[in-house]
Amino acid sequence: MSRPDGPVLAGRDLRKDYPMQGEAVHALRGVSLEVRSGEYVAIAGPSGSGKSTLLQLIGGIDVPTAGVVEILGTRLDTLSDRELTRLRLTRLGFVFQRFHLLSVLTARENVELPMAEAGMAVRERRARALELLAYVGLEHRAVHRATQLSGGEMQRVAIARALANHPALLLADEPTGELDAATGDGILALFRRVNADGTTLVVVTHDERLAGQAGRVIHMLDGRICD
Amino acid sequence: MTELGWSVRSLIRQRLRAVLAVTGIAVSAAMLLDMVMLSGGIEKSFAEMLLSRGYQIRLTPKGTLPFDTEATLDRVNDIVAQLRRDPAIAAAGAVLGTSLYGRRGRGDSLVTLVGYGIQPEAQGIYQVQRGSDLTPQDTVGVLLSLPAASLLNARLGDTVRLVGRLDPQVAAAAVSRQLVVRGMVRWVYDYRGQPSIGTILPVMQGMATGSPDDRASLLLVKVQDDAAVPAVVARLRQEFPRLEVYSVADLVKFFKQRLVYFRQLSHILATMSLIVTVLLITTLLTITVNERLGEIATLRAIGIARSTVVRQVFIEGMVLTVVGAALGIVLGLGTARYLDSILTSFPGLPAAFSFFVPRRENLATAAVVLLVTGSLSGLYPAWLAARAPIAATLRSEAT
Repeated sequence: MSRPDGPVLAGRDLRKDYPMQGEAVHALRGVSLEVRSGEYVAIAGPSGSGKSTLLQLIGGIDVPTAGVVEILGTRLDTLSDRELTRLRLTRLGFVFQRFHLLSVLTARENVELPMAEAGMAVRERRARALELLAYVGLEHRAVHRATQLSGGEMQRVAIARALANHPALLLADEPTGELDAATGDGILALFRRVNADGTTLVVVTHDERLAGQAGRVIHMLDGRICD
Repeated sequence: MTELGWSVRSLIRQRLRAVLAVTGIAVSAAMLLDMVMLSGGIEKSFAEMLLSRGYQIRLTPKGTLPFDTEATLDRVNDIVAQLRRDPAIAAAGAVLGTSLYGRRGRGDSLVTLVGYGIQPEAQGIYQVQRGSDLTPQDTVGVLLSLPAASLLNARLGDTVRLVGRLDPQVAAAAVSRQLVVRGMVRWVYDYRGQPSIGTILPVMQGMATGSPDDRASLLLVKVQDDAAVPAVVARLRQEFPRLEVYSVADLVKFFKQRLVYFRQLSHILATMSLIVTVLLITTLLTITVNERLGEIATLRAIGIARSTVVRQVFIEGMVLTVVGAALGIVLGLGTARYLDSILTSFPGLPAAFSFFVPRRENLATAAVVLLVTGSLSGLYPAWLAARAPIAATLRSEAT
């Protein structure tokens, strides 16, 4: 059960092995972390350090080989696939490096998608989608398809989509990885604002500038937290 | 954004592919519909043709089917009289079929004709189109089919010369009659272009045999109440043990037996068209799902339920099926009409006969089968979409 004073996210002794050519590759070798409500945490490290794997485990889209993840006090390993999916929909928000918007939908429809899945009424979700697009500065692009948007605009729409169901925790995996420096700065500013407005944020990055603006930085190397 | 709209947009993302798939499904659907119409249509058409004048029973010489041989019944006047006394029977009449020759003018050459001897008071094999019907005592009147009229160059009121029992050895006509054209008629069982003429039964008996010898090829019986037909047939079989007594249902049954291979062929072709449809939709959706694994993994990651993703794939399959089937039904009806015109022009087939009979139940059967097929076709791609590994797919998308 969720405790009001407990961490939003807790990971204990997380391990993840991948089988590769008959041998186990240790992507995570016992990682523990806690993130409290309102925190802005960056997980930094070089490629292959296990930071994206860690994000997938704490986001409930992959299962650890060992260890436990709790979101708002709920152990993910106790949830059925359906319950876990529902938790991702209603309690978590995801932002990916490659945006992953649906190209056949407009910006507004992309933002509406998680709300529609959550069962929100059409009028209500449409209004909230437009509100969120205004929040990320894209109200004028609401009816444009994803393919008609620039990289920075797509990432803003992805952030709006991630915020759609008022998530307790927003997880971002290399959110500036596909963007040039100037566009990336805009995304950094948006993340600061999202966090300032009360959303707990965990960002995986190898971008020192992005990591540097977080309230706390967790450095990873070779599947372990190194500081 | 509805799920249907989302599916349609997903499909038209690859326009050419979607168009080709819909075209393929339409062709398969057309073939399926044609085969469904063909497998049930022939017997329906046959039954309708037999019942077109309302006569539900035929009596023929023992061991024969109507007009299947040249065998004849004798003492038909007695039999007809006996039949007409039966209170359950509304009408009964005899028909004699024979071949004869005709010419209009003295110098014209003879043309071959099909002759029917009929009893106008109980006529079950023709409809008057122009002019008037014969009366039972009209010994100088004749009815012509339009092809016969054309061949004899005859109009209403003209006199034509008919020749029967032509002996090829001496080229002499045993029987020759001059008759006045009373009416133009459509003979129900004639093939397209068949030059047929009809006279009252005694006249045709005389033309066929040289004298009115009280013979006929078959007897037609109209029962007052359709529901009483089986009982009347059973009774007639007891009353006339030397004759074959057939209801239309019996004749359709014989006909079906003769067409069993034809029906099997149509079933095989229908099954093949369904298999092609399944393969087509499954292949297209599988390719589409494989191309969109990244998108599906993203949807699952952000909390879209497996059932929503599966439903989406299903809807895409159904959209393809419904659009393809709708086009296929139009195409199928068109090709059926064209094929029917070719097949019914084969010699010896009644022009009123149809191979492809469009009926609501045929359309409904084809539509239901196609929808079930469309649903089944989406099973594998939907399963593929449902089991897409989220983390692994996102990892491979990121590299």
